[in-house]
Amino acid sequence: MRRLLVVVIAALAVPGVASAHATLIGISPPTQSRLDAPPRAVVLRFDQAVTTTAGAIEVFSVGGRRLSGAAVSGDHGRVVRAPLKGLQHGESYTVRWRATSSDGHTGSGVYTFGIGVTPPPPTEAYGSTGPTWTDDAARWAFFVALSLLLGTTGLRLLVLREPLPVRLSNRLYGLAALGGIATLNVGIAAFVMRAADALQLPFVDLLYGDLSPMATKTRFGVAFVAMTLGYAVVTALVLLAWILDRPRLLWPAFVLGLGFATGLSLSGHQGVEPNATFLTGLADWLHLAAAMLWVGGLVALATCVWPLAPSLRRTAFLGFSRIATVLVAVLVLAGTYLSISRLPSVSDLWSTTYGQTLLVKIAIVCIALGWGAVHHFVLWPRLERDDAPRGLRRSLIGESAVAILVLLVAAVLVNARPPAVEPAVGVRAASTLPG
Amino acid sequence: MAPRPELVHWAFAAGFLLLGLILLAEAIVGRDVFAMRRWRVYLWPSIAFGIGVALWPVSVFFTNSTIHMLAHASWAEVAMLAGAVQLALVRGKLTSRWWTLSLSFTLLVSAAAFLIHEQNPWLFSRAAFLHHAIGWTLLVAAIFPLGQALQPRRFGWSAGFAMTWIVLAVMLFCDRDVAPIFGHLSQFAGGPR
Repeated sequence: MRRLLVVVIAALAVPGVASAHATLIGISPPTQSRLDAPPRAVVLRFDQAVTTTAGAIEVFSVGGRRLSGAAVSGDHGRVVRAPLKGLQHGESYTVRWRATSSDGHTGSGVYTFGIGVTPPPPTEAYGSTGPTWTDDAARWAFFVALSLLLGTTGLRLLVLREPLPVRLSNRLYGLAALGGIATLNVGIAAFVMRAADALQLPFVDLLYGDLSPMATKTRFGVAFVAMTLGYAVVTALVLLAWILDRPRLLWPAFVLGLGFATGLSLSGHQGVEPNATFLTGLADWLHLAAAMLWVGGLVALATCVWPLAPSLRRTAFLGFSRIATVLVAVLVLAGTYLSISRLPSVSDLWSTTYGQTLLVKIAIVCIALGWGAVHHFVLWPRLERDDAPRGLRRSLIGESAVAILVLLVAAVLVNARPPAVEPAVGVRAASTLPG
Repeated sequence: MAPRPELVHWAFAAGFLLLGLILLAEAIVGRDVFAMRRWRVYLWPSIAFGIGVALWPVSVFFTNSTIHMLAHASWAEVAMLAGAVQLALVRGKLTSRWWTLSLSFTLLVSAAAFLIHEQNPWLFSRAAFLHHAIGWTLLVAAIFPLGQALQPRRFGWSAGFAMTWIVLAVMLFCDRDVAPIFGHLSQFAGGPR
C-alpha cells in the first residue's frame, strides 16, 4: 500500500512537458484575412502531433466548389497541409478542418479568408444556414433574463430606495441574481448554437469543435466574451450586495449591466447595416435598455412588491409609473428613429418580411402601451386617493406577459436583416469586425 | 494572448491549496477557536467566491473546444454560487445547515464535468489519468459536506473536506498531457514529452 502511494505521488510529481489537447497554434492563410494573391496551400500547425486523413482540410468557394487537394502531415505530425488550386481574385473562401489529437479527441474548426475582398465571418461560412428559430428563442430568453437583472435592480435603486422588509429585499435580490445567472447561461447556449451552425458538426464532434474563430473574429463572439465577463461581475456584485447588506453595490452592478447591454446592439444586425452610425447604435441601445428596464420592473413589481409588501404597493406603483412614462417615451422615440433609418420607404412595412415583423411588434407594443395607459390614467389617480383597485396584481402580470411577448418579436427582429439601404457617408470606420 | 493552459491550472491549484490549508487549520483548531477572529470565518468562502469569479475569464478565453468552455463555465458558476452561499451562511443571511449541501452539489457537478470530459481510459496518458483521478476524488469527496450537514462538529468530515482541496491542488500542479504514467503510455497517445 505504501509502495503504491509512493508510485502514485512520484508519477504525479515528475513533470513532463505540459500540454492540453492538441491546440491550433498557427494558420496560413490566417483566419479572416484579406490576401492580395491566391495562396498555394492551407497549412495548419498544432502544438502536438495530430492524426489526419486526406480530407482533413477542405476549402470551399462561396458556391460550394471544393478547391483543396489531399491533406498531408509533416513535422512529426504537427503540421497539416492541403494544396489549393482554382482560387480567384475577388472571392472569399471557407476552410473546414478535422484533426485527431494524441489524446484521442477529434478537434474541428472553420474559418474564412478572402482574396482581394474582406471575407465573411465564420458564422457566415459556406455550409452555415444562419440564425434559425432556436437562435431567436435563445435571444428572447437572453432579453428576458437581462430584463429581470436590470429591471429588478433598477426598481430597487430608483423606486424602492428606503430600507425594505427583509422578505421583499431577499426576493428582489434573488430575482436579480436569477436574472444574472440566466443571462450567463443563456448567453453561453446562444454562442454554442451559433458556433454549431458555423461548424456544421453533430453534437459529439461539436464538443471538440474549435470555437476560437467565432469568439475572436466575429462581432457576436466578441460581444459574447465581453458580456459574459461583464455579467459575471454584475452577478457577483448583486450577490455581494445581498450578502453584505450593501445596496450601494447595486449601483455599479446597474451601471455595468446597462453598459454591457451595448453588446446586444453591436452583435445584432444594427452593428453591420450599411447606414449604421453612432446615433443608430445609441438609439438601439436606448431602445433595448428602456424596454428591459420597463419589462423587468413590471415583473418585479408584480412578483415581489405586490405579494410581499402591501404597505409599499402604492409607493412602488406610483414611483414605477413615473419612471415607466420616461422609459416608454425613450422606447417610442428611439424605436421610431430606428424604424425610419432601417426602412428606406414606407411600403417596406408591408412588402418585406422585416417590415411585417416590425408591424406585428408595433401592434403588440400598442397593446402593452394601452395597458400601461390604463394603469397610468385610471388606476394611478385611484391609488393616489388610497382607493386600491382589485385585481391590480393580475393586471400587472398581464401587462408583463404582453411586454415579454414584445421582447420575443424584438429577438426575431434583431436576428432578421432589414431591407438594403444606401451606406451613410463616413460610417463603418469604427470597427473592422464583421457580423 | 492567452497564457498556456497549465499555467492557468497551476494558478488555480495555488488557490485551491490556500483554500485547503485554511479549511484544514479550521478543522484542526475547531470552529470556535478559528472564529475568535471574526474575519477568519470569511476567508475560505471569499476565496471560493473569488475562484468562481476568476474562472469566468478562463471559460471565455479558452475556446479551443466547446467541452472545455462548458466545463470551465460550469465550474465558474457552481464555485461562485457555492462561495456566495457560504458567505451568506457566515454572514447570517442563510441559517439552515442544509445549505452546506450546496458544496456537495458543487463537487458533484465538478466531478461530472471532469469524468464526462475525459473519454480515454485511465492509463491512456497523464492527462487522462489525472482527469479520472480528479473526477473520482471530487465524486467521493461530495460525501464530506453531506457529513458536515449531518454532524457539523465531527472532525473527520471537516478534515476530509479540507484535504480534498489539498489533494486537488497537488493533482492540478501535476497536470500534464502526453507523459508516461506508471511507465505506461498508450501507443495512440503520442510519444513521451
